[in-house]
Amino acid sequence: MPTGAEHPPQRATMNVPPAWTGVVRFLHITPRAFLPMESFDELTLVAGKGIEGDRYMIGRESGFYSHKPEEGRQITLFEIETLEALARDAKIQMLPEEHRRNVTVQGVPLNHLVGRQFWVGETLLEATRLSTPCRHIEEILGKAVFDPLINRSGLNCRILKGGVIRVGDAVHGA
Amino acid sequence: MASFAWATLSTGRDMPKAIKHLQAVVREIDEPLPGVKRLVLADQDGWRLPAFRPGAHIDLHLANGLVRTYSLCNEPADCRRYVIAVKREEAGRGGSRHIHDELRAGEVIGVSVPRSGLALSPTGMNIFVAGGIGVTPFVSAILAMEREGQSNYQLHWASMGEPSLIDMLAPAVKGGRVHLYNTLEVSPPDIRPIVDGSGPDAKAFCCGPAGMLDAFESAVAEWPESRKHVERFTAPKLVPTLNAQPYSVVLARSGREMEVRPEVGLLATLEAMDADISVSCAGGICGACRTRWIEGPPIHHDRVLSPQERAHEVIVCIAECAGPRLVLDL
Repeated sequence: MPTGAEHPPQRATMNVPPAWTGVVRFLHITPRAFLPMESFDELTLVAGKGIEGDRYMIGRESGFYSHKPEEGRQITLFEIETLEALARDAKIQMLPEEHRRNVTVQGVPLNHLVGRQFWVGETLLEATRLSTPCRHIEEILGKAVFDPLINRSGLNCRILKGGVIRVGDAVHGA
Repeated sequence: MASFAWATLSTGRDMPKAIKHLQAVVREIDEPLPGVKRLVLADQDGWRLPAFRPGAHIDLHLANGLVRTYSLCNEPADCRRYVIAVKREEAGRGGSRHIHDELRAGEVIGVSVPRSGLALSPTGMNIFVAGGIGVTPFVSAILAMEREGQSNYQLHWASMGEPSLIDMLAPAVKGGRVHLYNTLEVSPPDIRPIVDGSGPDAKAFCCGPAGMLDAFESAVAEWPESRKHVERFTAPKLVPTLNAQPYSVVLARSGREMEVRPEVGLLATLEAMDADISVSCAGGICGACRTRWIEGPPIHHDRVLSPQERAHEVIVCIAECAGPRLVLDL
């Protein structure tokens, strides 16, 4: 099966250097649907599978959406800037463990990365699609975050090159 | 290509069922009083459980298919377990009998995310009036207040004989904030004198048998709704559109038909019919449940479809119906 690594996205072929460099601020996983996310200093990513211990690890799915298998949902990212915007614009305090994505990044334009590859520490990811907000998060949190998260609910990715990612790792284009 | 991988995932095994609730292990069962069982529920690996507010409750999805709601009665800060207390009701509908007679420590049961809770007065007096096992929502509230060093509450608790969970309220009892009424010896609490003169910031809460609830509602009849709360152990209902009327939903391909009651809604009705729909956001935005409609017209609440699309499609997770029948191409 061809992989994205063998077929770099269009930007790479244009040889345009990325105009951004971000950083990993928080890492979270949870083993099963509905359980709270827990913070870790580092996580192990398995290429083509997911995150060790997370509910969406392919082959061991136990997440809320696991009845809808999705090869491109091995790891999810979220912008810390969205949390700041929620507090500023919607007066909603949302914590990094509450958005239920795995990696909270700073300085990374996630919405621009669909179809592109990028590095998180020593691992290589490929963005498959934007995440969408869902009522499931509101149910768990008891916070009205559905509307404010429209169009800024994070990014779904597949893992092209696995490894260990850590809080503080750099994030940059491939 | 992603589509190849998707096909592999989708056809290589049976499609798993949607996970609708937590799976919890029954860690302990004890019987603090004959006829009352106390259950400690936890994640199988001891992972933190979803947080809950004082007085919150959960649904238990029991092996016999019954779903029953119980108040959490441990301290909300105690985030790795849920504690409930269940009184055996011989004349009940079977939930408590199943828990008492069939459920064993070590079994796994489905548990909903906690919901609701008591909006306590931070500075005014909080008056809890309980009858028997109805004390459970107030136990977690009292434990939370004690933890915060708050003493602005009083519990008036009637029970026939020895109260059942008194061991969980030792600091409150020692502090003189628990008033017990053994109704084998004394009358149940006279609620009106208890609530009268409690101040403009006071709140009053009641959970108990019907007679007690009636007496309570009479005593606080003049109080604003925001300052009184009656706990009836019923699941929260959907809030339908004002003056919404029941209608029938029809699955055209099979001819199956079911009434959609406003308090239940279209999505839950379709799920009850085991209709072939895919639901994701349940909020009218993702479009996963996009369905063609034949007769209606639907009342659209989604943010997915264009006006042209709405002429023949509907996002069923959030829609209603303007007519007596909604016929879907399912």
